[in-house]
Amino acid sequence: MRLELRDIRHVYSPRTPFEVEALRRVSLAVEPGEVLGILGGTGSGKSTLVQHMNLLLEPTSGDVLVDGANAATLKKSELRRRVGLVFQFPEAALFAPTVAEDVAFAPRRLGLDEGEIEDRVRQSLSLVGAEHLKTRSPFALSGGEQRRVAIAGVLAMGPEVLVLDEPTSALDPEARGDLLRLIRTLRQTGTSIVLVSHDTNEVVEVADRICVLDKGEIRAIGLPSEVFYMIPEFAPATVQTVSALSDIGYDAGSPVRFEETLRALKRLVEG
Amino acid sequence: MNRSLGQFYPVASVLHALDPRAKIVATALLVFGLFLVDSAAGLVLVVAAVVALVAASRVPPITFLRSLRPVAFIVALTALFQVLFSREGETLFAWGILEIHEGGLRLGLFLGLRILLLVSAAALLTATTAPLALSDGLEDLLSPLKKIRFPAHEVAMMMTIALRFIPTLHEETQKITKAQAARGADFSEGGPLSRVRATIPILIPLTVGAFRRADDLAEAMESRGYQGGEGRTRYRELRFRPRDAIALAVTALVLAGAALL
Repeated sequence: MRLELRDIRHVYSPRTPFEVEALRRVSLAVEPGEVLGILGGTGSGKSTLVQHMNLLLEPTSGDVLVDGANAATLKKSELRRRVGLVFQFPEAALFAPTVAEDVAFAPRRLGLDEGEIEDRVRQSLSLVGAEHLKTRSPFALSGGEQRRVAIAGVLAMGPEVLVLDEPTSALDPEARGDLLRLIRTLRQTGTSIVLVSHDTNEVVEVADRICVLDKGEIRAIGLPSEVFYMIPEFAPATVQTVSALSDIGYDAGSPVRFEETLRALKRLVEG
Repeated sequence: MNRSLGQFYPVASVLHALDPRAKIVATALLVFGLFLVDSAAGLVLVVAAVVALVAASRVPPITFLRSLRPVAFIVALTALFQVLFSREGETLFAWGILEIHEGGLRLGLFLGLRILLLVSAAALLTATTAPLALSDGLEDLLSPLKKIRFPAHEVAMMMTIALRFIPTLHEETQKITKAQAARGADFSEGGPLSRVRATIPILIPLTVGAFRRADDLAEAMESRGYQGGEGRTRYRELRFRPRDAIALAVTALVLAGAALL
């Protein structure tokens, strides 16, 4: 599906002394099957933006469109199934006695029959590599395991768009790698992914397009090779290296991912 | 953000500057004094005094009134019961079994006003006293009880921590509610029983989170060498100034006057 945000504005606590305009007329689309990376500093409006994607927050003005149709006219439960939202620190919402029951929460709410629920639980747990934890208590797991189980809890709805808000925060390097691999796997199955992060080095490895948010406005949106070379303060280490080289007269093109950059540098060295 | 009952309102005013102990004692005096006031003139005097205090606190009157909203229902209900079920004095109105008597009306008004004044005084205390100052003041006032092994410092510390974590838990509740809503939870559909059941996915993580936070806090306090009240000094020393004594004296005088009227 194609998810489009059109002219979204969001004001917190309107008409009070605490009024804050978190988003000012933001427009963007999540194309079918793509990984859209959303970057931005603290307070840039990233988390506010993603909560509009399944209308957990209603825009002050503007529209959310699902395949061209206004999302406000869809049933809330239908919208939230199709657009799966994983909040930052999603493990804080684990509640059931066993991992399997926790992951079964969303499919059960969808009114599926027991056989289907069981299938979904098994599938989504195996996607995140946590099938062996099925009968454990979610509270007895490690932080990384809890994170994976919590993500499985959203995957179990079978979302067409998966929105991940800072999914790797406070994870160790190995768990981070696992998560990026999961994103690639899901992309291959046709799920669109919105990856919100402030770690540009990890976004660059999976994103098809990049959106940079700044003070509630879109500063740039486009291909990583365009956006990162345009906005140096969000450039990953690879782009910084290539830019520094080009400043002293070595042109390595505009690679962004690690492998690409390595190849470009190799070509440069070999002349 | 919602201002609610008992929330500190940080502005500079005469009341904010008073010693928290003076304010606690004055509030206690008012609470007990109100039971001695039984004339209309006396009540009017206390109302006037409380209104003057709200003005002096520089908390916007609208904000202050709004903070009283949670108790409005209880006040109204209590007053209504008095009006309807008291059969004292002249009958003012009768319709079937419904009778309103002059004494009942008077009693209802008095009782409603008393509760409202009581809550106002308490709200004024917490609106003008920072939570930390409040618990410091309470600790000092309770410290004579340490002689009979009453854990005054510990009680004050527990109160501080509890107050400190109200906004945190509130925020946490909202986060968890949203996370469960994203998984299809619906808190507004079905009968009362299914609504109660719908809160389980919120209450469990909230409780687990609260215990984890308590653990973290205990560890953080211990790693900074906290070991209770013994020999502990304060960054802000409370000082009882002449103006605090004057405030207390004025409170006592107004209440005595109101009781005698």
